[in-house]
Formats: sequence, structure tokens, C-alpha cells
Amino acid sequence: MTEQELRPDQKQEVQPPGEPPKELKQPSVADEVKEAYRKLDKARAVLHTAGDIEVGQTPHEVLAETRAYRLLHYQQMVSKTARTPILVVYALINRSYILDLQHDKSWVKSLLSQGFDIYLVDWKNPTAADKYVSFDDYVNCYIDDCVNAVLKKTKVDKLTLHGYCMGGTMSTMYTTLHQEKVRNLAVIAPVVDTEKDTTVIGNLAKHMDVDKMVNVIGNLPCEQLYACYSALKPFKQGVNKYFNLVQNIDNDQFVGNFLRIEKWLYDTPPIAGETFRQWIGDIYQKNLLVKNEMKLGNELIDLSKINVPLLNIIADEDHLVSPQCSAPLNDVVSSADKRLMRFHTGHVGLIASLYSQNNVLPKVGQWLKARSQ
Amino acid sequence: MNKMLSFWTDVMKLPTIGPMYAFSKDVSSYASDFVSLGKMMAELKTSMDSYWALVSTAYAKAMKETMERAPKQLLTKDDFENYRRAAIEAFEDAFTELFASPEFSAVYGKMFSSQLDVSRSIQGIAEKNSKTLNLPTRSEVDEILKDVAELKRSVRDLKRSMEIKDDGARTTT
Repeated sequence: MTEQELRPDQKQEVQPPGEPPKELKQPSVADEVKEAYRKLDKARAVLHTAGDIEVGQTPHEVLAETRAYRLLHYQQMVSKTARTPILVVYALINRSYILDLQHDKSWVKSLLSQGFDIYLVDWKNPTAADKYVSFDDYVNCYIDDCVNAVLKKTKVDKLTLHGYCMGGTMSTMYTTLHQEKVRNLAVIAPVVDTEKDTTVIGNLAKHMDVDKMVNVIGNLPCEQLYACYSALKPFKQGVNKYFNLVQNIDNDQFVGNFLRIEKWLYDTPPIAGETFRQWIGDIYQKNLLVKNEMKLGNELIDLSKINVPLLNIIADEDHLVSPQCSAPLNDVVSSADKRLMRFHTGHVGLIASLYSQNNVLPKVGQWLKARSQ
Repeated sequence: MNKMLSFWTDVMKLPTIGPMYAFSKDVSSYASDFVSLGKMMAELKTSMDSYWALVSTAYAKAMKETMERAPKQLLTKDDFENYRRAAIEAFEDAFTELFASPEFSAVYGKMFSSQLDVSRSIQGIAEKNSKTLNLPTRSEVDEILKDVAELKRSVRDLKRSMEIKDDGARTTT
């Protein structure tokens, strides 16, 4: 292309001979400030719409609904190849749609595509009237009701119980008491041996006067949970993520992913007071669960009674539940068939990321399928 | 006018009804409640001072680290970007170390406990007002909630045992 062929605005400056080549024209400070302001303004507008973004879109029906939970049954995507249904027990912290966050990062969808029949316990918000609802109610009433409903619908006598985080702990408790209904126990980052927990949450729990809190406040308010979360990775996640959002504000895919996680992070229901008292007092402070001294109602939770196949999935970089806290489950159960899977990711990355889709779920599916016929 | 005032004096003197009688009866206990509330507020202030002292120390440490790690001159866009990275790293290190320390856990626990003491004290005063107005108090509602939760569990256990009996009977026949 000759100089004549260039339009006037494309004309290149001729470099004077002997002088060092000039760098490409940098945007002026004013341009940069203007651009930064535009991005900030767009980010502000985008953040206001975080609540509207759609999540949990894998088709499902509500099989049962009470004041405490909804039992979801997901529509099958391929012909069923695994005979044993899977009941996913979500935690009481935040919402279950993290397991079905978006189509390419959905734990539920991946299991469906591998031929499993999936049910999920979606917990509802406890109200002030639920202050005395305890783990006994969650495990022996709500989860048991869901298990019975799934067994009745699928006409089998046992299912796979699949719990995440606190849901993993509840699934473990359930298995010790109702093993006759459980074919496999597959848990993701369960809280088990809290003496070995090295997280900030474990540290803050040590000196919490939980009895006083429940007596005075009742249910654990969401603000208290936000305070805990903000102490986890206060700057790398709490502050830096917003810088990243502003920088990538024109990248629709990045913004969509960001908003879905953001929506989940701030979608925090309260926790029933008595349940929280047991969670902090019995599990975190006294470490009763791994000592086989925890009681639900009059029944003792003895983990050594578990003898069904066990899969324990943990993340090396989990800053909510230390891998050292989850791993001892495999040491205390009596199961002959037990497996510990460790992945190089974090608590949420373990279940809702591309890493999880490519590295975690194929292995989990393989393990489950071999034990679901 | 005298008649009107003496009517109210008579109402005040009624022995067992009316909020004013109840208020006047509890005057001394209200006074002691407010004194103890004041003490608790003072304790909360002490706990908060300890909390903010730890936070300030971590903040100072983070600032010092930032100065050491960040570029000395901010001339280009990259310099600003490197400054931001250094600051995030330094603050993350300082505050994560703080939040994971046993000292912070103890101080935070004490501050939270002091906060709860203040709330409990205010609730106690509010309960007296509820009683005065013949309304059910929070503690009374709490007792009912506890009873309801226990009743629900009893019903659940009864249902289960009946189901087991029914199943047993069906198997026998």
C-alpha cells in the first residue's frame, strides 16, 4: 500500500532518519479517565441487575414441597443407565442453584447427561418460628421424608445420598442412622473433623458464644454470615473481583459468570437457631461428630457404623472447609469400599466450574455408575 | 380542672389494672435496667476498642508492606496496575493472618458476646413493656415455639412407630 492509497486519517507519520522509532500513539490521560469512568458506570449498572440473572435452569419438577424444603426431580436428558437414583442434599448455607448455576457449569446437568436419575433437596428459608428446628429435624424428618419419597417414586429400596458441604455432613449423619435406605454415600467437602480445620470460619467459631447468640437473636441472620464470608479472602476475592469486573465489563461471558456467582454469594438465608447451635457448639467447638459423641434427639451418631461404599470428594484449596477437616471421614467409617478424591481447586470451583466439568465430574460419574446398578 | 386531674390520680392508684400502675410499680427496676445497660455499653466499647486496635495494626502493616512492594514512582499505567496488585497482596496477607489468629478469634468472640449482652438487656426492658401492656413477651412466645417443635417431633416419632407396626402387621398377615 502506497502513501497515496491511505485515507487522510490513516496516513502514517514519516520517521525522520536517524531518530529512534516513535511508539504507537498512547491514549491521553483524559481518554483513559473517560474510559475508566464509562466502565465503572457500566459495572455499577450491571451489579444492580445481579438479582435478575437466571440460574438453576435445568428442567425439573417439584416432587414434594413443605414449609422446610422443596424436593426437585430433574428431567432426564439421556436414557437412564444407572438404576440407583441420586438424592442430592444441599447445605443450609446459600442456595442449591450453585449445583445448577449455568448450563456449562452445572453439576446436576453433568450427572443427568451421564444417565443418572437426579433428585435435589432445596431448603427453604427458616422463619423466626423455626428457631428450635434442629439437625434432628433436618436429618430424621426432612431428609428421611425426601428419601422415602424418592424410593417410592423410583420403586427401588436404596439410593445414593450425595451431599455438599454441610449437606455432606447431614448426609453422613443420615447414613449412620438409616443405612438400610442408602446404597452409596458420596459427599463433597463435608465438615467432619473440625480440630483439623484451618479455615478462618473454624477460627472464628472457636470463641463464639453460640448459646447466647441463639437465645438473644434466634436464627443466625444473613448479615452475620456475610461478616464471616468477608473475612475469608477479604481482598483477593472481596475487593479484587470488582476490579476484574470493571476491567472485563465489555466481555459478556465474563460478566454473566460473575453475576451468577455474585447472586449466589448474596443469596443467603438465615440458619435455624437450634441447628446453628449444634453446628457451632457440637461440631466446631466440641468436635463431637468425629468422636462419635454427637446426638440427634436420643440417637447417637456413630460414624463407624457406616459400611456402605463411600466417596469423599475434597478440594486442596478449599478455604471454607479444610481438606484436612473432610478427609478423616474415610478413616472413621467401616466401609470396605471407600475412596478419597482430591482435586486442585477451591470449595466452589469443585462443583461449579469448567475445571469441575472436565476433571471432577467424569471421575465422580464413573465411581457412581460402577455402584448404581 | 381539679376534678379532671383527680380522676387521673385515681386511675393511677387502681391496684391491679392499667399500664400506669404497672409502670409506676416497676420504676426502680427500670432504673436498674438502664444502669446495667450503661455498664454493658461500656463493656462493648472496651471490646470494640480491642477489635479496632487489631484491625488498625493489620492495616498499618499492610500499608507498610504495600510501600515496600509497590513501584516507587507512579508514572505509567503499568505502575498503577502494579501498585494495585501489591496493595491487594499486602492487604490480603495482613488481614488473612489477622483473621486466622487465635488472638483475633478471642477478641471478636468477646466483642460479639458484648453486643449480644446489650441486645439482651434492651430485650429485657422491652419485655417489661410488653407485660405492662398485657402483651405476650418474647420469652413466652419462645416457650411456645419450643413446645411446638417438641410436639412436632413427638408426632413424627408416633407416626413412624405406627408405620412400623402397620408394616409388621401386614407382613404377619
